[in-house]
Amino acid sequence: MYFEFKNVSVHYDKVQALQNVTLNLEQGEIVALIGANGAGKTSTLRAITALAKLSSGEIWFGGKRIDRLEPAAVVALGVSMVPEGRHVYPFMSVKDNLLMGAYLRRDKNDVKRDLDRVFMRFPRVRERLKQQAGSLSGGEQQMVVISRALMAKPKLLLLDEPSLGLAPMVVRDIARAIVEINRDEGISIILVEQNSRMALKISHRGYALETGRIALTGKSTDLLNDDHIRKLYLGA
Amino acid sequence: MLVNGVVLAVNYALIALGITLIFSIMNILNFAHGQMFMIGGFVVYYLYGIFRINYFVSLIAVVIVLGTIGWCFETFFFRRIRKIATREENSMLLAVGTALLLENLALSIFGEKQRGVPPVVTGVFRIGNAYLPAGRLLVMILALALVIGLLLLVQYTKWGRAMRALAQDREVTHLMGVNVDRVAAYGFGLGAALAGLAGGLLVTVFGVNSGVGNVYSIKAFIMIMIGGAGVVPGAILGAIVLGFVEAIGYQLLPGSITYLLIFIALIVFLIFRPQGLLGKPWG
Ligand SMILES: Nc1ncnc2c1ncn2[C@@H]1O[C@H](COP(=O)(O)OP(=O)(O)OP(=O)(O)O)[C@@H](O)[C@H]1O
Ligand SMILES: [Mg+2]
Repeated sequence: MYFEFKNVSVHYDKVQALQNVTLNLEQGEIVALIGANGAGKTSTLRAITALAKLSSGEIWFGGKRIDRLEPAAVVALGVSMVPEGRHVYPFMSVKDNLLMGAYLRRDKNDVKRDLDRVFMRFPRVRERLKQQAGSLSGGEQQMVVISRALMAKPKLLLLDEPSLGLAPMVVRDIARAIVEINRDEGISIILVEQNSRMALKISHRGYALETGRIALTGKSTDLLNDDHIRKLYLGA
Repeated sequence: MLVNGVVLAVNYALIALGITLIFSIMNILNFAHGQMFMIGGFVVYYLYGIFRINYFVSLIAVVIVLGTIGWCFETFFFRRIRKIATREENSMLLAVGTALLLENLALSIFGEKQRGVPPVVTGVFRIGNAYLPAGRLLVMILALALVIGLLLLVQYTKWGRAMRALAQDREVTHLMGVNVDRVAAYGFGLGAALAGLAGGLLVTVFGVNSGVGNVYSIKAFIMIMIGGAGVVPGAILGAIVLGFVEAIGYQLLPGSITYLLIFIALIVFLIFRPQGLLGKPWG
C-alpha cells in the first residue's frame, strides 16, 4: 500500500481527536475525507505532516514509516499540505510565496519550469505575481496556496477544506484544478472537505469521520448513494 | 550636528534592525540587546585597542563572538522554554535573565572602567562650515553598508525569505520543509551580531563601559516603539528619529534633559499611536 494510516490516535491534552483511525491510499488516487466540525479531519492531516503527535498507531508512506519524523523530513519525502483557512504569507509577494514552496528544491531550472506549469494552471496567479499575497481575494489566495504546495513537487498532496468560504463558481474552478492536478501530474491527493458532495464527486474513494472514528468507507460513487451519507452529509 | 545625527541614525538602525529581527522571528523582546552591543564594543577594544589587530578583522571577530552568543541563547535557552513553557511571560523572564547574565559577566571580566580605542583613520573633512572627522565618516559608511547588506539579504536570499516566512507563519513554514529551529537560531545569531557590530563601530566614537548595556537596550525599545514593533521600515524610521533627536538635543540642551523630553514625547506619542508609526507585522 502506497500510504497507510494505521490505528492512529491523537490527543490534545485530554481531548481525544482521533481514535484508532485506519485509512489508506493507492498511488494516483484521490481520497475524500468528510465529516462534521470537530470530527478530526484536520487532526488527521496534521498527524501525517507531524504537526500533531500520535499517541498510538503508525503512518507509512512509500514504504517508509513517517510518524516519528520532523515535519521538514516528511515534506522532503514528497508530502505537501495546504492547511485549512488559506494561510498565504500575507506580507510577501505572490512570487515569494511560491518560491517558499520550492524551499527544499535545488535545481533552479526545474523550479522555473514548474512555475510556468503553475501559471498555466492558474493564470490569475501569474497576473498577481508582484502583489502582496494578503491583498488577494479569497479564491486567489486559495490558488496561491495550492500553487505553493505544487512548487514542492509533491507525490502526496493534502488539502484541508480548499472550498471553504468560496463562491460556488470559484469552488468549481478549484474542484476542476484538483482533478487535473491528480490526472496530469499523477499526484495522489487526500481531500478534506465539508462540501461532501463536491468531494465525493471528484474523488475515487471516501472516508466519513465521526467524532474521531471512521464511520464509513467505500467508493465515492457508492457513498454518494448511501442513505446514511445522504442524510448526514448531503442534506437529502 | 546633522552629521552626528546621521552617524547615530545609521548605527541605531543596525541596533533596531537586530532587535526587530529577533522580535519578529521568535516573538522575543531581546532584553540583552544593549549588552550584546556592549560586548561588541569590548571585543573591538581588546582586539583592536589592546592587541592591535586590524580593525576590520576585529569586526569579523565581533560577528563570530556575538553570532555564537545569539545562536547559543536560542538553541540552549529559548528553544527549550518555547517547548515546555505554557505562558508567554516565561520567555520574557528568560530574556531579562540573559541580559543580567551578560551584564554581570561583562562586569566581572571587563571591569567597570570606561574604555576607548585609538582612531581607525585620522583627519577631518570640511563640509560647508561643518567639520566631519574621518573616523565618524568611516563608522557611518560601514554602518550604512551593513544596513543595506542586511536588507538585501532579507529581501533577496533564500535564507532571508525563510526568516520572513517564519516571522509571518511558523506552522506553514514547517510545511515548506524549513528546519525552523535552525533558521531561528541563525536569525537570533544574526540579530545579536548586528547589535555587536553597532557596538564595535560606535566604540571608536564614544568608547564603551560595561554599564552601557541597559542604556542601549532602552534605546532599542524606544526605536521600535516609535517605528512599530516587528516592522523593518519602522525600525529604520525609529532609528532616524531617535538619532537626529538625540544629536540635536545634545547640542541645544543640557545633558540629561534630552532623554527626559524624549521619554515624555514617547509617552504622549504612544497614547495616540500605540502601534507606532508603521506598526503591522513583518514583511
Ligand atoms: N490544538 C488543539 N488543542 C485542543 N484541542 C484541539 C486542538 N485542535 C483540535 N482540537 C480538538 O480535536 C477535535 C478534532 O478537531 P479537528 O480540527 O481535527 O476537526 P475537523 O474535523 O478538522 O473540524 P473542522 O471541520 O471544524 O475543521 C475537536 O474536538 C477539536 O476541538
Ligand atoms: Mg478542520
